[in-house]
Amino acid sequence: MKKEIPLLIGFIATIGWYLEFFMAGKFFENWKMIFTTGFRNVAIVGLLVGMVNVLRVNYKKIKYNNDRWYSVYQMFIIALMVFFGSLRGISPGTPFDAMFTYGFVPLDATVFSLLAFYVASASYRSFKIKSVESAFLLIAAILIMLSKMPLGEAMWSKIPVIGEWIMDGPTSAGKRAILFGAYLGGLTMMIRVAFGLERSHLSE
Amino acid sequence: MEKFIYTLKKLDKRWIYLLIFLSCIIPFWYPDMFPQEFSTSKETQRVYDIIDGLNEGDAIFIDWAFDPTLQAELLPMAEQTVKQALDKKIRVFIYYPLLTGISLGENLLENIKKEPGYENIENGVDYIHLGYLPIGVDMVLFSMYSDFKATFGKEGKIFEGIKTFGDIKYLISYAGSAHPETYISLQPRFGFRMGAGVTAVVGPDMVPFLQTGQLDGMLFGLKGAAEYENLRIKAGAEKKFNQKANAGMASLNLSHIIMFLFIGLGNLVYFYERKYKK
Repeated sequence: MKKEIPLLIGFIATIGWYLEFFMAGKFFENWKMIFTTGFRNVAIVGLLVGMVNVLRVNYKKIKYNNDRWYSVYQMFIIALMVFFGSLRGISPGTPFDAMFTYGFVPLDATVFSLLAFYVASASYRSFKIKSVESAFLLIAAILIMLSKMPLGEAMWSKIPVIGEWIMDGPTSAGKRAILFGAYLGGLTMMIRVAFGLERSHLSE
Repeated sequence: MEKFIYTLKKLDKRWIYLLIFLSCIIPFWYPDMFPQEFSTSKETQRVYDIIDGLNEGDAIFIDWAFDPTLQAELLPMAEQTVKQALDKKIRVFIYYPLLTGISLGENLLENIKKEPGYENIENGVDYIHLGYLPIGVDMVLFSMYSDFKATFGKEGKIFEGIKTFGDIKYLISYAGSAHPETYISLQPRFGFRMGAGVTAVVGPDMVPFLQTGQLDGMLFGLKGAAEYENLRIKAGAEKKFNQKANAGMASLNLSHIIMFLFIGLGNLVYFYERKYKK
């Protein structure tokens, strides 16, 4: 029964949600709220499990001297945010919000901003016209970049039009093909889960 | 020439980093170093027109799926849509699928309240932060179509007349990922109207949905945000308080020029070596 019950749940849920999409009506209106509330409860328990896992992983690191100080720092920050959040809430003007605004925001934005530097360096090293295809890629990339900056339009008024054509035509065609394949894959996966052929979610 | 090529080949990447850094920073002191005039794309215009066409008392739903990493591009967009809605007395519901975005949104509204004309807007009356729910966006959407208010467990005058998500006139999703696709995939099921505000990297991924009409309009990267600011300024918004994206335009120009320069130099080295070092 350890296998059969999860498979049955998978079958009912998959077919139910699939039919719901096409047969939206009163019959489904009533029981779909049960699902959404259930999902929320499971997710909240999941968050708790995640929190316990973070504590366990860091406890092990601290105990066995494996990057100990990073873990101590991480645990300290988590404890501090939980403490401030519990103390006076998270609304603007609270200590939690100050930590978010003056700590998290600049750090988070800085890490992401580093991408600009890496992209510039990588472009210099590797964006080279080694073949006809790479020439097309480079020209298209430059035209798109120009179309998305004011200078492009100032240089030639047709640049935004060309950029739009590249995105509406070749880019969109490629994206549609990828999406079509991905959604067909998703549909196949749904059928496999429904009929118990796909069992990776049961740790098999 | 050979010495020059050798220098370029051995160029320390820290010089590239320094030039990119300076190209981003310097234009903020000289914003007029490049022409600042540019046309408005039809995708941006559509989002503006749809919100502009709503009536007083209507409601829009903002899906705030970004955190500080993307605030340079997406925060000015969100700011302008919120202000446009507040100007027209349209109710604004802000939902956060990311926990790390909540404070960003709350601070934006607090800052807007300090600007002239917005001092009297109230949380729970004119706008509301719906918070984060630890479930997928698809589940949130199903739940909102069953009972909008109960989904978030919030109270306020703003909920008057809003029983389900069907009573919301427009949804706009701000994201730096394929996140809006979740809404798009459920759009045929529920039939809501939506637009998106996305980073320049994600923009091309959303173009097919614009073509099919699933997205009514789209704000595309920092330039899209600047276009929106200009539309609002044209409509009478004060320039001083609505210039965040436009302030980055010169920086966007110069940093891209530096990028083109380096791509050009990289190719020069490559072709020189191919020709003379066989």
